[in-house]
Amino acid sequence: MKKIISVFLSALVCAAVFAGCAKSNSGADESLKKVKDKGELVLGLDDSFPPMGYRNENNEIVGFDIDVAKEVCTRMGIELKLQPISWDAKEQELNSGNIDCIWNGMSINEERKKAMNLSEPYMKNRMVLVVLKDSGYASKDDLKDKSIGVQNGSSAQEALENSDFAKTVKEIISYDTNVKGFMDLEAKGIDALCVDEVVANNFIVQQNKNYLVLEDSAFADEEYAIGFRKNDQALRDEVQKILSEMKADGKLAEISTKWFGKDVTIVK
Amino acid sequence: MDFEYLIKLLFILLEGMGTSLQVFALTLIFSIPLGMIVAMGKMSKHLIINFPIKVYISIMRGTPLILQLIFIYFGPYYIFNVTYDRFTAAIIAFSINYAAYFAEIFRGGMESMPLGQYEAAAVLGYTKSQTFFRIILPQVVKRVIPASANEVITLIKDTALAQTIGVIELFSLAQKQSSFVFSVMPLFVAGVFYYILNLVVSGTFGYIEKKLNYYR
Repeated sequence: MKKIISVFLSALVCAAVFAGCAKSNSGADESLKKVKDKGELVLGLDDSFPPMGYRNENNEIVGFDIDVAKEVCTRMGIELKLQPISWDAKEQELNSGNIDCIWNGMSINEERKKAMNLSEPYMKNRMVLVVLKDSGYASKDDLKDKSIGVQNGSSAQEALENSDFAKTVKEIISYDTNVKGFMDLEAKGIDALCVDEVVANNFIVQQNKNYLVLEDSAFADEEYAIGFRKNDQALRDEVQKILSEMKADGKLAEISTKWFGKDVTIVK
Repeated sequence: MDFEYLIKLLFILLEGMGTSLQVFALTLIFSIPLGMIVAMGKMSKHLIINFPIKVYISIMRGTPLILQLIFIYFGPYYIFNVTYDRFTAAIIAFSINYAAYFAEIFRGGMESMPLGQYEAAAVLGYTKSQTFFRIILPQVVKRVIPASANEVITLIKDTALAQTIGVIELFSLAQKQSSFVFSVMPLFVAGVFYYILNLVVSGTFGYIEKKLNYYR
């Protein structure tokens, strides 16, 4: 009896594995057709990244990326579905098909180029240093032998640690969120905070506080792109095509002006 | 921080608390019976039953719950190429994890019963099942309540881990609001929510313990 059960179970496992293989080997790129048949594009995002994609005081997910994605979906004749994910698990979420794309102010880097099928860059971003206005710091050089804060695991951290500037500072302190970094800056636990320029500008505008972005501090130019599954070429191309159309007819500039006060997009 | 926002925040967190409570309740509903079965299995004398259960318990207790969540949700994709609902995955992961802990508590409770009681019951003519349900089980329940209360309180706080696989629960909403308003205030408000929930839980267990204390 035990033998029969174990044979049956192993047969079941084999069948499941083969069924899985058969599914993944189905050849042609049907990514665009699949999304259109489904009638929705599932956009994965870490909804805590203002102003790109975040939850507002009514618990609605809003942001620059969200507005653009909505318009793209309208033009494709499909619905946009927002799926909040844990940023650390974004590659698994994408590969396992839970989401169709990652569209959340994602910086381009070598690992992501390898792991995903990235769109053309749609926006530029830089890292800047934020200090308290009354701290007296006016340039990067003033921050020699000082403490700098940064968000752990962010591209700001990567950029900061690889820069020559990092060698001149006293220490780099990392936090799991930018919010904690800003609080520590306020409490004078650190002298400056290294963050994405879009985050810094949004924070300063919103909080109306006495912060200053150091003029000469911008470093590590980088670009934001949308990430698709490695094999989903057709879907990626369609989204890219529509973005170019939106750039041409001014819609992209309109959305950008709403969020950043000017057209910051670099779509061709 | 203005008052109007605070009201909005409370409603957002209440919404998140709904999800957290669902995870909490469903986990208890599945893990307690499963824990009993596992406890029985571990006490079994047959190697073919008790060995796999020993392995299961040691894995569940020996690896981080956060990793188990990730494995339960993403594992099926890498093995069978199938994906499923993230909320279901969270319930499965929490249930099998907590079942392992409950099983050990229940086993401890059952093994603490003196052998003499079984012998006395046999002499008095009770059948095996009568002995278990009428004599042993009521006493075991009393003995495992305090240790179980510990697990249940921990479970309320552990529900925050469900956000690892994208389940939008109380703590994740608080974190998202925290990055929206650039302040840790929403996190503290969430802390108050958890504290109140646990006051209710520990109060309930205190009441149950008192009710079951009829021989003292």
